Amino acid sequence: MATIVEAVNLRKTYLLGKVPVEALRGVNLKVEEGDFLAVLGPSGSGKSTLLNLIGALDKPTEGKVFIENIDISTLNDNQLADLRRRIGFVFQFFNLIPRLTARENVELSMAIVGFGKSERRKMAEELLETVGLKERMNHKPAELSGGEQQRVAIARALANNPKFLLMDEPTGNIDSKTANEILTLVKNLNEEKGITTIIVTHDQRIASQAKRTVQMLDGLIVKDVIN
Amino acid sequence: MNVNDVLSYAFGAIKLRKLRASLTTLGVIIGIAAIVALLSFSQGLQDTITVQLQKGFATKTLIVSPKGGLGGGEASIPLLVSDTDTIEKIGENVSAAVAIMQKTCFINAKGRTFTVNIIGVDFAKYQTIYESTFVAAEGNITSENDSVVIGARIHDPWQNGTIIADVGDMVNITWTKRSGTSQNKTYTGQITAVLKEIGGFNIGGPSDLGIYIPISQAQNFFETDECSTIIVLLENDDKATIDSVSEAIKTAFNNQVSVTSATAVLDIISSVFANVDFFLAGIAGISLLVAGVGIMNIMIVSLMERTREIGILKALGMKNQTVLMIFLSEAIIIGLMGSAIGIASGWGLANIVARVGIFGGRIQNGNQAAAAATQISITPVLTPTVFLGAFAFGIIVSVIFAIYPAWRASKLKPVEALRYE
Repeated sequence: MATIVEAVNLRKTYLLGKVPVEALRGVNLKVEEGDFLAVLGPSGSGKSTLLNLIGALDKPTEGKVFIENIDISTLNDNQLADLRRRIGFVFQFFNLIPRLTARENVELSMAIVGFGKSERRKMAEELLETVGLKERMNHKPAELSGGEQQRVAIARALANNPKFLLMDEPTGNIDSKTANEILTLVKNLNEEKGITTIIVTHDQRIASQAKRTVQMLDGLIVKDVIN
Repeated sequence: MNVNDVLSYAFGAIKLRKLRASLTTLGVIIGIAAIVALLSFSQGLQDTITVQLQKGFATKTLIVSPKGGLGGGEASIPLLVSDTDTIEKIGENVSAAVAIMQKTCFINAKGRTFTVNIIGVDFAKYQTIYESTFVAAEGNITSENDSVVIGARIHDPWQNGTIIADVGDMVNITWTKRSGTSQNKTYTGQITAVLKEIGGFNIGGPSDLGIYIPISQAQNFFETDECSTIIVLLENDDKATIDSVSEAIKTAFNNQVSVTSATAVLDIISSVFANVDFFLAGIAGISLLVAGVGIMNIMIVSLMERTREIGILKALGMKNQTVLMIFLSEAIIIGLMGSAIGIASGWGLANIVARVGIFGGRIQNGNQAAAAATQISITPVLTPTVFLGAFAFGIIVSVIFAIYPAWRASKLKPVEALRYE
């Protein structure tokens, strides 16, 4: 299988006030197409930082990220934006635009790419149907439950046919029953549609469902297991 | 992202903060309304004055007057009634020259005393120069010795039918001669004609407030041959003619007279108005700049509130220039609405002011005669230049002040923007 994401000796140092904090201290990781990878670890172990670097939202202090064998440090702002269009992000706090309806939120990522109105509307409806939210698509985020909002976020992430999904604590903010439903959804997407998924989580249950588990501690990968 | 989507996204963001957006727009409205109201009013005033002046004196005329006059300067020779001969002898391009004598006198009518301006002219010549204004509405303008011609506002000062002097009336005109002792000089004449109403200002030309007597009578009555001005009628109003005759007259009088052309006066007035317009637009422009600062302030606040939203947009792959365009579009929409409403309300304001007459509404003729002053109403004029200029200015100011916040928004780092609380 082709390598879709590769991290080579990634280091990231933040300045917290005047104190440098090493969030990543030399991480190496390869993710193959079709993988379902869970990244586990306590708070501050560097999992979200790793996700941001892989998702081209942030730049490493040292080391390189390759996406489909392209070194993303060589890309300019516009090329990075183009790259992000093909990466599906799902965040812990959903990050939907509050004034837009569920359908409009999904449409937005397609509007950014440049799809016409009727085309993207049709696709947004299909995606919302995939995540089981078709009948709620004209509601705004404030009118939806946490689980429903996360489904909208997943539908949005799936728009534009992403190379892979990056999920940062997707179940961290919803109850366990809904979390299970979300997990099932993600798992199905991976198994049926072959969507490569990288999930950052605290949740052991998610980890146990994943095909591969990576354990992080203090900015390093300490364990990498194929389930 | 296509233009439509950018605009509708920007519009959605504005709609979300209606009150704030309306207050920001109000700033632009006030600025643009001030510009449009002041300039259309000033344009109306300028048009009115120009029209009135054109009525008041023919463009084919020159006004010759003694040099110095008000404000002193070197002493000049007096201008005499007979000097018209000198001017007429210049010949080429000069059709006629008429001397005008003026003196402030009193007349008695209907038991009251009025202060009036008595003008001595050669009726026949004066008629050839001002063929459209020195025209009788009642009676006939005849050069009989004791004939008196009066302006329309002397005849009916309040324009309500209260006639104080009419054709056929005998009038006593009096002035006080002071040489050691005071001595009243009185001239008695009969009104033979009332001029038709002229309206407007008079520089050299006939006036609604004038009382005219034949020049020979005036020379005797005023006990002098000095005249205040000589009006010269030219054959045409070409600039070359005006310039050459002006020079010839100055030369003939050894540069001791000043020559003013009606056209030159109109030019001066136009240039004065251009300056006034510039000044007014400047004042109003300042209020628009204040509105611009308001836009900038609001957009920086909005930028902070929407930092996370910008982070999301960037995570979804929106390019920096698209974020920039969204913020600039918000400013363009505000500028567009502000300008449109501003122009409409400025225009409305100018018309209300003109109708109600808060700002003068009428202009009083400088001539402080007892008879009522000439009234001129001003109709505001909105020229295409002012219209388009105000529109463009409103939008440009809005956009300029939005550039910095929009640029900052576009440069936000996605990961930091997403983390922003």
